[in-house]
Amino acid sequence: MAMMPKRVLHRKQQRGKIRGNATRCTTVAFGAYGLQCLGMGWITARQLEAGRVAATHYLHREGNVYIRVFPDKPISAKPLETRMGKGKGETEAWVAVVKPGTILFEVGGVDEPTAKAALRRVANKMPMRCRFVRRRHGL
Amino acid sequence: MAAVLKATRRTQIGTRGAKKIRQTGSIPGIVYGHGQEPVPITLSEHEMELAILHGERVLELDLDGQVENVLIKEVQYDTFGHEVLHVDLARVSLDERVEVTVHVVLRGTPAGAAEGGVLNQVTSDIEIECLVTSIPEEIVVPVGAMKVDDMLHLKDIPLPEGATLLSDPDAVLCTVTVVAEEEVAAEAVEGEEAAEPEVIGEKKEEEAEEGAEEGEKK
Repeated sequence: MAMMPKRVLHRKQQRGKIRGNATRCTTVAFGAYGLQCLGMGWITARQLEAGRVAATHYLHREGNVYIRVFPDKPISAKPLETRMGKGKGETEAWVAVVKPGTILFEVGGVDEPTAKAALRRVANKMPMRCRFVRRRHGL
Repeated sequence: MAAVLKATRRTQIGTRGAKKIRQTGSIPGIVYGHGQEPVPITLSEHEMELAILHGERVLELDLDGQVENVLIKEVQYDTFGHEVLHVDLARVSLDERVEVTVHVVLRGTPAGAAEGGVLNQVTSDIEIECLVTSIPEEIVVPVGAMKVDDMLHLKDIPLPEGATLLSDPDAVLCTVTVVAEEEVAAEAVEGEEAAEPEVIGEKKEEEAEEGAEEGEKK
């Protein structure tokens, strides 16, 4: 089942705007390799789950997969063939809001070609362009 | 041999000043330490990136004709890790001991990997104290003899001569463990139950009804 918060302050949210590049979560912190997004947008919990499944399936349970973003924004939608009005629709999905430069996934405990292949499969599940990055050591 | 970097004193300070400097192909930085006043400087971006690329930690800084040895303390990068935004340089003398962060590399395939064990590196950078002239680029730790459920601590790392460990010696460096296979099925069952999250501060339906009934009685 997809990720979602256990407790929220408000049941529904406004859409909001995404401006600028990411200033946090821009470096690989847990694994040795990561997947950095190059675009902005919403990543649904289903897409994140699909990415996680793709990576773990490819790695045959070797190594570790880390998800660095969490879908904490509720997205509401009205049912089909419904007239306008009568209040905001019910929550249909949970999304993570990401800015360019955010590290989405990390992989550790495997060699670089394996991590690259696994993260390429994850990137195919993401709704924006992504790139493979290595952990920066020292300076 | 330490590289020689030419630098000039910087008068433009703050975000706007730093942006203007970066547009000219230079990068802002600062030199501090040894009880002297901090000096904002401007460096060549290309020279600085080359020095970092070559793994230099100690540089000779030519600041308006005055040459001094400096240690690269911190480098700030942009969001995508392409461009250097700012560097921190600390004045050092060559017989001084300094605290630095060094990368730890695990070398070899653990013996436990044949039994399904996965090598997991918990700590990848450690703090050590050593002479300025003998800062290691990385510390190599052989892990070929590790079996399943074995654990290496920071105190087990072979340090270079004259270096002392500053990080917690009992902290875990790496482990070899077998990954459990039943986690996914358990997660799926748990997730199906939680259809909607709890709203903080919102009364539950039963409590609200009880409250309404009490109000009617009064």
